[in-house]
Amino acid sequence: MAFNTGYVFGFATAICVVCGLAVSSVSMGLKERQDDNRRRDVQSSILSALGLPEDGKPLEGEAIDKLWEERVRRVVVSPEGEEVTDAADLTGDGKVDEDDVDAARAQVKGTDKPAPLALVYVRQDGAKAASYAIPLYGVGLWGPLSGYLALDPRAQKVTGATFFAGKETPGLGAEIQEPKFEDQFLGKRIVTDSGEPKPIQVVKGQAANLCEKFLDYCVDGVSGATITSRGVDVMIADAITAYDPYLKRIRGGAR
Amino acid sequence: MSSPATEVAPVKAPILVWDRKARRIVSDPFNDNNPITVQVLGICSALAVTIQMNRALVMAAAVIAVLCTSNVVISMLRRFIPPSIRIIVQLSVIASLVIVVDQVLQAFLYDISKQLSVFVGLIITNCIIMGRAEAFAMANPPWQSFLDGLGNGLGYGAILVAVAFFREILGSGTLLGFQLVPTALYDLGYANMGLMVLAPGAFILLGLMIWAQRTWTGYTEE
Repeated sequence: MAFNTGYVFGFATAICVVCGLAVSSVSMGLKERQDDNRRRDVQSSILSALGLPEDGKPLEGEAIDKLWEERVRRVVVSPEGEEVTDAADLTGDGKVDEDDVDAARAQVKGTDKPAPLALVYVRQDGAKAASYAIPLYGVGLWGPLSGYLALDPRAQKVTGATFFAGKETPGLGAEIQEPKFEDQFLGKRIVTDSGEPKPIQVVKGQAANLCEKFLDYCVDGVSGATITSRGVDVMIADAITAYDPYLKRIRGGAR
Repeated sequence: MSSPATEVAPVKAPILVWDRKARRIVSDPFNDNNPITVQVLGICSALAVTIQMNRALVMAAAVIAVLCTSNVVISMLRRFIPPSIRIIVQLSVIASLVIVVDQVLQAFLYDISKQLSVFVGLIITNCIIMGRAEAFAMANPPWQSFLDGLGNGLGYGAILVAVAFFREILGSGTLLGFQLVPTALYDLGYANMGLMVLAPGAFILLGLMIWAQRTWTGYTEE
């Protein structure tokens, strides 16, 4: 069967249009559900870092929204460690929220300056703050890493950690998001006895052999994922330095 | 000799038949012509997503869905596709289907889609799918092409699940997330086999499977 040039072009165009329509309509149709999934995924990992729900059973769907509303208070803080109010609104929508923090982070991207705004998620047990979760941002082998580190009410010890491996190699770098890696952080300290910030190190090898004297500040890296492990190490150090003024206030009993 | 009364109207071949030939199309890729162990195609994903059974199962389902649909679509279009652009047409159809599957997974099986990460997208480059489109669907009617897709998808999936079965039990001591190796055994000093959660573990298992399967069927490379 012979096909002339016009037919070939026509056929190619038709295929492109049909495939394009199919893909975009599926994508648009499912967008809302996917966005909900993404938002709840972030929320449930913050919740799990904060030790919620207490029975440890993972929640799904609207149960996550409900728990989030009831138990988590979002605080935006300045580099000096002060809680900022709606006056610091950057996006101009009348409130200070995640968007403003993203905008603040974008402002200082590529520089060493601290972002003018940063987030803290506080777990409320009634009127009492039971735990503080700070977001972590870092760089792995293939792309960005992120996570949350939850601290006890006195901001001394880690009570929970969750990491997102992003594009890290499954089976290697991506193992940082497995409980086996995350649970190592439980009970580790982030300050010295004299109150100075001291980040948790992710060492290449076994912490038990390599950091006898400071085992409270040391966890095992992932074998076969040196760069990802180093990324986690730097990411935690950055956050502990950046949030230190705020954490000092908590330790000082100012709140 | 032929009276009008006995003359039989030309039998219209039923489109959906499940005869011996159809069964052969489905069963062949399981064993004699397995896409992984005999043709050694689709190895990349077989290594990557076989750490846990649930990932392997979802990946297998995704590949089966894409393979069946792409084979049917290509087969229906086979008389209209100009030979000069047939590969790119196949690729467009396959790529669209893979994106659809990826979007559906992100909407309904978010956790697993997150674990499978790029490997769902990489189904596009899985040689099995292009291979079946070019070798089978371009020359056969839709039903047979569907069966061929099903057979090859299942053949691929079977190996994936078999590799994942051993990797999850030996590497993590679990199966589908349930603890299988008793705690008592760990107390006695048993340790999970770290090699199995790494890519080389999958290589070794796959090599053993290819060896066992070829010994069994007597297949040799020409």
